[in-house]
Amino acid sequence: MASTATLRKPASGFRISRKMLPYVLSLPALLVCIGILIPFFTAVIYSFQRYRLSQPWARQFNWGENYLNFVTDPAFWNTLKVSLLYAGITVTLELLLGLGIALLLQRRSTINNFISIMLLLPLMIAPALAALMWKLMTNPSFGILSYLASLVGLHDFRWASSPDTALLTVILVDIWVYTPFIMILLLAGLRSLPTQPFEAAALDGVPRSFVFFRITLPMLTPYILTATLFRLLDSIQQFDIIYAMTQGGPGNTLTVFQVEAYLNFFQSTNVGRSAALLIILWAITYTLSNVFIKNWLRLRERARGEA
Amino acid sequence: MDTMSPIERALRAVALTLVVVFFMFPIFWIFLMSFQTNETILSIPPSIVFSPTLSNYAALITGKLQTAAGTLDIAFMRNLGNSIFLSVTSVAVALVLGVPAAYAFARHKFKGSEDIAFTLLSFRFAPPLLVLLPLTQYFQWLGLSNTYFGLIWVYQLICLPLILWIVRGYFEDISADVEYAYRIAGHSWFATFRKIALPLAGPGIAAAGLLAFIFAWNNFVFALVLASADKQPVTVGALAFITSSGIQYGQIASAIVLSVTPTLALALYAQRYLVEGLSLGAVKG
Amino acid sequence: MYEKEKDLISAFLRGEVDRRGMLKGLGAAGIAAGSAGTLFNMMSTQALAADFDWKAHSGKSLKLLLNKHPYADAMIANLQAFKDLTGIEVTYDVFPEDVYFDKVTAALSSGSTEYDAFMTGAYMTWTYGPAGWIADLNEWIKDPAKTNPNYNWDDFLAGVKNSCAWNGQPGGALGSEDAKQWCIPWAFEQNNITYNREMFDKAGVELPKNLDDMIAVAAKLQKDIGGIYGIGVRGSRSWATIHPGFLSGYANFNQKDLNVSADGKLSAAMGTAESKAYHAKFVQMIQESGPKDWSTYTWYQVGADLGAGASAMIFDADCLGYFMNGGDNKMAGKLGYAAFAANPEATASTPNIWIWSLAMSNFSKDKDATWYFLQWASGPEHALFGATKMDFVDPVRQSIWKDEMFREKLNGKYPGYVEMFDASAAGASIKFTPQPLFFDVTTEWAATLQKMVAKQVPVDEGLDQLVESINRQLKEAGLG
Repeated sequence: MASTATLRKPASGFRISRKMLPYVLSLPALLVCIGILIPFFTAVIYSFQRYRLSQPWARQFNWGENYLNFVTDPAFWNTLKVSLLYAGITVTLELLLGLGIALLLQRRSTINNFISIMLLLPLMIAPALAALMWKLMTNPSFGILSYLASLVGLHDFRWASSPDTALLTVILVDIWVYTPFIMILLLAGLRSLPTQPFEAAALDGVPRSFVFFRITLPMLTPYILTATLFRLLDSIQQFDIIYAMTQGGPGNTLTVFQVEAYLNFFQSTNVGRSAALLIILWAITYTLSNVFIKNWLRLRERARGEA
Repeated sequence: MDTMSPIERALRAVALTLVVVFFMFPIFWIFLMSFQTNETILSIPPSIVFSPTLSNYAALITGKLQTAAGTLDIAFMRNLGNSIFLSVTSVAVALVLGVPAAYAFARHKFKGSEDIAFTLLSFRFAPPLLVLLPLTQYFQWLGLSNTYFGLIWVYQLICLPLILWIVRGYFEDISADVEYAYRIAGHSWFATFRKIALPLAGPGIAAAGLLAFIFAWNNFVFALVLASADKQPVTVGALAFITSSGIQYGQIASAIVLSVTPTLALALYAQRYLVEGLSLGAVKG
Repeated sequence: MYEKEKDLISAFLRGEVDRRGMLKGLGAAGIAAGSAGTLFNMMSTQALAADFDWKAHSGKSLKLLLNKHPYADAMIANLQAFKDLTGIEVTYDVFPEDVYFDKVTAALSSGSTEYDAFMTGAYMTWTYGPAGWIADLNEWIKDPAKTNPNYNWDDFLAGVKNSCAWNGQPGGALGSEDAKQWCIPWAFEQNNITYNREMFDKAGVELPKNLDDMIAVAAKLQKDIGGIYGIGVRGSRSWATIHPGFLSGYANFNQKDLNVSADGKLSAAMGTAESKAYHAKFVQMIQESGPKDWSTYTWYQVGADLGAGASAMIFDADCLGYFMNGGDNKMAGKLGYAAFAANPEATASTPNIWIWSLAMSNFSKDKDATWYFLQWASGPEHALFGATKMDFVDPVRQSIWKDEMFREKLNGKYPGYVEMFDASAAGASIKFTPQPLFFDVTTEWAATLQKMVAKQVPVDEGLDQLVESINRQLKEAGLG
């Protein structure tokens, strides 16, 4: 495909194109996304308005009032707490579990490869549908999981319907759905690690735990950061699983950001409050990803320096 | 690693079994449900013994659903077609746009490169609801609402950042020396990109493409809000079995089985690339 | 062909022969039921056409937004009759109920001109109306040039019709003089008891007569039958938990959701002693005899449990009980129906109602043509077709409830349904105060009930907190 013209380009032209090249390569991707920025700014404007679709006559700029109201609104602080708790717990557990499974499957063999693909199955089911199936499986009358729980003596385990176990239940579903995501990224990372350091360590008889913590883990860190970043961004914005299983209940146990914002928009049609909630959510994710990416870049630089 | 003690081998086998049971049991149960009528699914206590039926699959494929309130028409196969078309096209577009950009970020430190890369990633963390609301209005004005083109564009929010950031990491892992040597031999950057960089980053591209495909496949809020009934994916289509005369669990289960099949096939196919291309470490210094 | 039969049907349509007489006559003439239906449709089409220019908008096309529902199915099954009658082409988008209202909100809030008419509930029009998304249908209903003479607006049940009309003032009475007709009722649900007759016989209990009785009966059923629970009610964190049985019983004690002051200010009304007593009993009933995972219960779970024999009765929509008595439900044919008055001092049941209605989009490009569809879809001919041939229950027209074929169909397969309807239809209406914060109030109310049932908060305290929070939100929105 490469034309002969490009191959025989004179040196000077080559230099110019080399300077422009990265821009040329990344510009299309940027352009495609840039259109999305306009609605984003529109939403920012909404968040500074008193704006209920059901009271169009009362629409006006109230500047920071939507945000100021949050300060005294216990529902908002609950939302913040639940969202962070949910994201923190799911990501931590999924990371540990995903890493563990990736290590189990690290050796290249047909069976390991097959298992790793089959483990992706939960990820392939739309979370909203998966949650529906979990709801059925945890139903006290017809649910297989409730039935199995009763066989081991858990007769009154109420899964998502009790405030004591609701968080636990949706976290369980989240782990089931998303651990494979982390597993596959880390598995790809593990298998792409250079073999020499491990061979050298094996020759020297270095203890395995030392190899893991001093060689494997540091070399794997960029992959862990990428996987964690994507998972964290999705997890703090969790909607499908929680909404399908409990709609944010019981009480206000699971009113995470996106569930609140969704209800505020689609049911209460309180666009101003909904937008303000989402902007705060955006600010949180923005800050988190900034931290992650700085570290990611630093690690990359260092890894390249060592190589 | 070759010096595994028998105890460790056994422990690993047990751990792996537990993992497989935890992740596969619900899948197995859904698979069983897809061959049951609602009546046997809703039996107390749940039972593993039942006489299998293909009626759920028949209903999905013929588009006729029998419920307590008569026969309903369903468009599941059309939904499935939409899902395939939307996901494949979106991932293809995202690969065409994202892989060169990822290469640029990995290989060339240019002015503003990190800013552009971060901006592209930042689309991933804007909550979808936030952009969706104004987007419906803009799409209305631009005449993009209810078009596949508009949907594929919006799907780039899901696919592009994922591909960009994962593939970038893989490009950075490839030693620049190999490419350099090839370039010095008189080959153009494009030839180098195509003959050296792309094949070496193959596993990364395969993995990122697969994940982007899965996330595009699982999305439903974009299509729901922006398109009419004939362009809806399976994720919306499967909700049609939640009818006011009852939830048709059997059909939902078989809809899940059918909707997972293309993705699973793709994953099993891409697995070859994952395995073949994973000699990446050998290239590295 | 079929001249004699055509005369007979014409006579029926003119009101000279009753329906049974007509069908007997047709039967005698050897016309099979199927072709009799076709013939009937053809003739009624002709009869309609005789007095009104149904072809005025011939050649135009309309698009509908529909919910996946038996009512929509009944309409689609009969749609060809409308196309033949008017020459208007009709296409439609059907969305699953789970996401239907999100789709409606998205389409209307963006000012989409794609849909001309859509299905809605009356509660939703309290948002759509003030937002300017839907048209006041009085303009067409009251214009004889645009509405066919057989439409018979007075045939609609008054409580139901009025529940769809609101003047747009927060707290304004439904169906007032200055009310706008935001939508036309299509079919509705009353909230009463559907029960498992076998289980009631086995436990030897009578139908509950009031709330205390219901608590006792549910507990006895649960204990005596074993492996089931006593009573199914919804419990998810949503308005849908408040509006069926819960609000119907609440209204029977003359309790209200909101107070409206003389100067039109709104305030929460759940803090009264009667309200607290009612809440306490309802919560106790759920704790003792409700489903174990009540707080996740929606329409679907309440229905599925009754249909599968996991619950002995439900205090919910009558047509949910209707659906569960057919199909592949294990308990099909074993269910019975009864009106329920929670208050021992009340003379009759006063169910709150859900009304599936038809509304006209304000962004429709041809409202007159859209009205042709609306008046046909809510007209007497389609209502009769839907009620007798399909599952179009509960019909909103009095004439349908007088139709013998319809009553017979119900009496045969749905014991007690007609009596249930007759006992509560007079008191059936929307018991909520129409106002723009409807979904905020009801969602929080449901969340509070969940906390009470989970014993996170005592009933008294929970209600006080609810009142305080709702008052704050009403003030914030400039309504309190």
